[in-house]
Amino acid sequence: MSSGLSRRTVLGAVGALAVLWLVAGLAFPDSWAGALLSIAASPSTHTAMLRLAVPIALAAIGGIFAEKSGVINIGIEGLLIVSAFSSIIVTFWLGSGGSTLALSHHWWGFAVGVLASTLFALIFAVVCIDFKADQIIAGLAVWLIALGLAPFASRIVFDSPNTAGVGRFQNVTVPILSEIPLLGYLLFDTPPQVYIMLGAAAAGWYLLNRTAFGRWVVASGENPKALDTAGVDVRRVRYAAVLLSGIFAGLGGAGFALGQLGTFAGGGETAIGGRGFIAIATYLFANYHPIGALGGSFLFAGLEAMQIQLQNLGYAVPTELIRTIPYATVIVVLVFVGKTQLPEAAGEPYDGDEE
Amino acid sequence: MARDRRRFLRAAGAAGLATMAGCVGGFGEGGSETDAAVGMVYATGGTGDDSFNDMAQQGVQQADEEFDITYDEAEPESVGEFEGAQRDFAASGDYDLVSCIGFAQADALSGNAEEYPDQDFIIVDAAVESDNVRSYNFDEPAGSFLVGTLSALLTGTEFAAGNGETNPDESVVGFVGGEESPLIESFQAGFEAGVEHVDSSVEVLSSYVGDFNDTASGQETARSMYNDGADIVFHAAGRTGVGVFQAAEAEGRFAIGVDDDQSVSQEDYADVILASMVKRVDEAVFTAIESVINDEFEGGETERLGLEEDGVETVYGQSIGDQIPDEITEEVETTRQAIIDGEIEVPQEL
Repeated sequence: MSSGLSRRTVLGAVGALAVLWLVAGLAFPDSWAGALLSIAASPSTHTAMLRLAVPIALAAIGGIFAEKSGVINIGIEGLLIVSAFSSIIVTFWLGSGGSTLALSHHWWGFAVGVLASTLFALIFAVVCIDFKADQIIAGLAVWLIALGLAPFASRIVFDSPNTAGVGRFQNVTVPILSEIPLLGYLLFDTPPQVYIMLGAAAAGWYLLNRTAFGRWVVASGENPKALDTAGVDVRRVRYAAVLLSGIFAGLGGAGFALGQLGTFAGGGETAIGGRGFIAIATYLFANYHPIGALGGSFLFAGLEAMQIQLQNLGYAVPTELIRTIPYATVIVVLVFVGKTQLPEAAGEPYDGDEE
Repeated sequence: MARDRRRFLRAAGAAGLATMAGCVGGFGEGGSETDAAVGMVYATGGTGDDSFNDMAQQGVQQADEEFDITYDEAEPESVGEFEGAQRDFAASGDYDLVSCIGFAQADALSGNAEEYPDQDFIIVDAAVESDNVRSYNFDEPAGSFLVGTLSALLTGTEFAAGNGETNPDESVVGFVGGEESPLIESFQAGFEAGVEHVDSSVEVLSSYVGDFNDTASGQETARSMYNDGADIVFHAAGRTGVGVFQAAEAEGRFAIGVDDDQSVSQEDYADVILASMVKRVDEAVFTAIESVINDEFEGGETERLGLEEDGVETVYGQSIGDQIPDEITEEVETTRQAIIDGEIEVPQEL
């Protein structure tokens, strides 16, 4: 199944289904098609989608940089946990209401969250790049360590795996502009982490596709030998890329924690709950394109927001089944649309000295 | 390669979760000079969960204050560790009572109760048939029925308190569950029946998040309910329920807590928490210890703690609860009495 034709067929079929849905929904507003349409068109679905997409999109963009440079970072779930937890706890320590040096404590917490995630990424980079550890094992270790460390630290401070509440970012409302239909509530009346996500996606795309550094990252993943021959230090490029993945994931984790969670639940799979792994699926089907990954996370988060409202309709469909809709869709998209072109040297440590 | 990686991820993820073995808490000396030595085996999640385990711990702490007892605690982190934790207490022979908290311990306890016939056990939220085990169950449906009654009465009234207000034009209330399980579904069944009992035209939105720790999804779920016109949302979803309170705060509506008085344990949200459906796990643990001290412990029985025994009750929020109109709280009290008298039949499952 290696032709653009089949892909086009699939896209065509999906498009036809969508049109059918639209027509059916408009014609029979009381049918399930109509109900689904009104959910998809409702502003609350869109704003929920933007909020839910934040950790997924940012972690995905981070993952793109690491993997493009040849270091598969499946530990981004762990980076999300670390940044979310540390941003909350630092905000708590500083006092959630106040500010220091004209910057509110939420933003200090945010900065420390990003820093913590970057530090974790640095450890991962040392282990993978200098010590040539298996990247999958090291990535898993990052996740498992974060999964244990956050509730453990929380227990020391709060005597509970769950932290105290620290409040959340306020929506940023731009006067006048927020009155514009659709775009107004989407872009000009939204919490700050959504701006961070949109900005980071644009920055990530620019960095990867329009700068010399971006070309080095790609070369380091496709043909590190050539890059080395051209006089660029592969090791440094990979370090920079993995650190970038830590920064992006940190923005996602800390933004999600302070913008949406306001508290960190450390039980089970924590309040992050696998969003980092969804991010991996997202960038794989976007074939490492930052804007595509943003779109992919919108798809997942949008379906998540829709399934939440779908449950409210009270159809006689088991809620477990409704909840699988976003995941099932991601799998379908991965199979039919995704044409992931894994970087040639992904997963292989580069040894410049060989031969 | 890509496919292999994905498969590996899935397998490794599952294996990782399974091997996240926590350690069983430290064991002290089960002293024999005291009235009783108690071993506590908590449900996964451990103490500090602001609900179930903390309530159990309060029970043993209360007993510690009132009597001369010693107690030791074990906090298994997965279901597989229950058996060992229970056995460690039982095998030492130093403990007069081993308390097993949570329905997930039932299987492990059936084996251990047989193996250690001289050891007294209690289990909370499950029933184990054995002569040396006393089981405690709570009538969650009845407790949920009452908060359902409260919600239905309030949603039709114009009411504002704290940070919330009802919308008298819409008669909608909501229920957010953690994971679909017979236990959580019995909350939903009771709640829906309670609403129906007051006014069958009130719409109940019910939804499950699928996780007890997913605050963000809890928040989005409750937000969508408030956007659909719900005035009050009741949750049985652990930490996910914190998201419900956040949504109530953001939308200026109300919420109802669960397990303990959440207007106290989640004080930040006291101005939107109307009431909590409290489950007195502490009472169960306390009375069990008391019976052991008085040599009155009777195994082989299942004790159902319902409304009459105050095993489940409606506790009004500390901040806004007293602003609820008297005729509504009186109506709730009348309903409570009617359930106790058997005039109202509360469904036990969906």
